[in-house]
Amino acid sequence: MAKQERDVRMSLQTLRVLEAFLESPTERLSGADVHQRCGIASGTLYPILLRLESAGWFVSQWESIDPSSAGRPRRRLYRLTSTGLRRASDVFASFNRGVLV
Amino acid sequence: MSQRKYSAVKDRRTDGDSGLDNLSHWLIHRAARHTPDSLPQRMQEEWLADMAARTSALSRLRFAIGCCWATLVIAHQRPLVRMPVGAAVVAHPNLVRFSRRSSTLFLVVSLHVAVFYGVVSTLSHTHPGAPPPAPLQTREVPVTRPRELLSRLDPQMAQVTLDVHRPELDLNYEPDLSDVAAKFVEEPSHAGTPPASAEPPAHPVRQVQGGPGAGFPDPDDFYPMLSRHLEEQGVATVKVCVAANGRLAADPALMQGTGRARLDEAALKLAKAGSGHYRATTEDGRPVDSCYPLNIRFRLKN
Repeated sequence: MAKQERDVRMSLQTLRVLEAFLESPTERLSGADVHQRCGIASGTLYPILLRLESAGWFVSQWESIDPSSAGRPRRRLYRLTSTGLRRASDVFASFNRGVLV
Repeated sequence: MSQRKYSAVKDRRTDGDSGLDNLSHWLIHRAARHTPDSLPQRMQEEWLADMAARTSALSRLRFAIGCCWATLVIAHQRPLVRMPVGAAVVAHPNLVRFSRRSSTLFLVVSLHVAVFYGVVSTLSHTHPGAPPPAPLQTREVPVTRPRELLSRLDPQMAQVTLDVHRPELDLNYEPDLSDVAAKFVEEPSHAGTPPASAEPPAHPVRQVQGGPGAGFPDPDDFYPMLSRHLEEQGVATVKVCVAANGRLAADPALMQGTGRARLDEAALKLAKAGSGHYRATTEDGRPVDSCYPLNIRFRLKN
């Protein structure tokens, strides 16, 4: 897992995705929610979500609704893991230190 | 599979844009089918669900095209992406063919359809009943000199010469303004009453500027989580226009920021949320509409 964590490439879009999740770390967001908050296109967003999930920063699960009664299909929801929260915090803290110096 | 049926039924309900929606669904099915490993079923359902959240057909088509691109990126980063489902990594036989030929064809066709749709929708929204404007017609007008025109009308008149004497004007005239000045000075005494435009005697107005009143939201409730985490602090100055009833008469505007976009945005949200809880500015004890700067401090507490 440690090796996989190091493999996460921090692009600007990745930081924006992480920022959306860090706004409320316990909230579960779908790809549509993240797009709405960050404005990242689907072609960039889903590879980032999959990459972070495979690295152990995110976990995902299907929304527990009945599509026929809800009137819409169920979504895949992503949530920060404790590892992801710690690693993302470290990343932003390092950026912050760089700005303040 | 039931998800696909659900989406198909839902899409048939939308009218007008069904062609684009069918294309979008086809693109997503195609893109998801070519994702590696155990992802196709999951990505298809996930993408269809997220696409259903889009409002316009063009937006859904853009989303579907993006998913095609996402498939290529996911396939490219596949050595890094090993989903925690324990599925064996099996190379997809159609992956290479999809990435080189089909995806390009899909993108080209989709872009053409999107451009065509955009042009048609734009044209349909520009005054469908109005007749097209008549093209401008230009006509060259021959320039005829006055004497040539005169000779055409009457050849004898062309020989007539006119002598016009210049008038003699004395431009060095200096008017005597002494009488006018004297009259101007004397005129108020003739009128006997002050002019109508004279202002009434100054009356001092006691004005008390408003501010946040009882029930105004706590800035801590609007402190962004990320800003707390990054220890961002600062004071934002927001211009608020408050009506006499304590409600905002207009959206608050940022006058001076904190240097942190998140905090500035939070300050505007706080100022907006406080509508109805402002103390209005008073003039002689009477509440009036007014605009004034409001300082909002975001400070971390130990």
